[in-house]
Amino acid sequence: MISKSGWSPIQHEIILSTNAGNIRIRSFCRAGEIHGYAFDGEFGRHAQYRSLYTKKESLEQDAVREGVNVVLAIDPGGTIIGFGVLDYPEEGARWFDLGAGVMMELKVIEVCRRWRSAGVAAAIMNLMVAHETVDDMILYLVGYSWTWDLDGAEKTAQAYRKMLIDLFEPHGFQELQTNEPNICLKPENIFMARIGERIPEDMRNQFKWLRFGVSP
Amino acid sequence: MSYPKECVLKDCEEVVIRPLEDGDETLLTDFFETIHENDRWCMRYDTTKPSTIKRWFDNLGSDSVFSIVTLCNDVIVGHGSLHTREFGATKHVGRFRIIVLPEFRNKRLGTWILLDLVRTAMDKGLEALRADLIAGMEDAAIEALRKFDFFKRAELKDYAVDPQGERHDMYIMVKRLHKGWSDF
Repeated sequence: MISKSGWSPIQHEIILSTNAGNIRIRSFCRAGEIHGYAFDGEFGRHAQYRSLYTKKESLEQDAVREGVNVVLAIDPGGTIIGFGVLDYPEEGARWFDLGAGVMMELKVIEVCRRWRSAGVAAAIMNLMVAHETVDDMILYLVGYSWTWDLDGAEKTAQAYRKMLIDLFEPHGFQELQTNEPNICLKPENIFMARIGERIPEDMRNQFKWLRFGVSP
Repeated sequence: MSYPKECVLKDCEEVVIRPLEDGDETLLTDFFETIHENDRWCMRYDTTKPSTIKRWFDNLGSDSVFSIVTLCNDVIVGHGSLHTREFGATKHVGRFRIIVLPEFRNKRLGTWILLDLVRTAMDKGLEALRADLIAGMEDAAIEALRKFDFFKRAELKDYAVDPQGERHDMYIMVKRLHKGWSDF
């Protein structure tokens, strides 16, 4: 499969050793593969939280689109216990305006509650950004505090926010300012981006202006 | 929080927000010299006195004051400070002050400074932010804070005086900071 920017995704797998057994982390999972796994029941509704993805079919739908990186964490029994999705912004979204294939959104990263604090999210992140064209793109993420599992994490919104920063910073993401209205709704919301090393100066400037909704 | 923070204003002017640091004394003095008397009047201290500025720099790094500046082409164009108490009945409440050069107003610069102070206040675990503003002298700021979910907690009738001796109401504006679930 060739992506929008002309590269061929190569699937990688890493093994994460935990006290509860080995977890396989696999990148660029396709719909057929996802279909073959079970989906952990903890991805659902909780008293104060609802997972962004409650059905594995949602992951399958993402995986159908070319270039989209669906990373799965699979327990020894073949159940998906964590996942991440790197996807292109939708047409009409502010971040699409930089041009097709330039920006990709870290759309979701989630680990089911009982597997948290085992390094699964960090391992998923490793494979989310591990491909040869990452330095030709601008990866970004938006963190809306109303989607965070504060109850399950037993953290305040600020502590959760810091946890996210600590998760993404080692992968080259930095917190950036933007006037995007949904992000500005709450001060604890966060916007982070990783600007690839090969992104030219003029595009970096365009991205800066796009963040603030201006065009000199 | 990571600094410096890059912001682009409405008119595409680029500014950088960062904490006040040693070596900024001349820049800050120059900044306050260009602020109109009416704006300086609303502050708690006379910023034209070198001793005031010196005291701020002597207190750099203290837990009770956090100051940020905004620079455009190496000139300070905005200043914000968050003041907290380490002890007592109001230690959960932060107070703040923001002042922006007239030519940089209505360009969202004040909003970026305020947003930074709100985040700092949340990081410090504060539960509320308070600003005392003078009606008739700081109406634009009062309106801006309302947009940021500040509400008028109290109104002190004829409490403040302007440089000409006229009486003005003072508004105590408060914003609650949520530690957990958002009120969205």
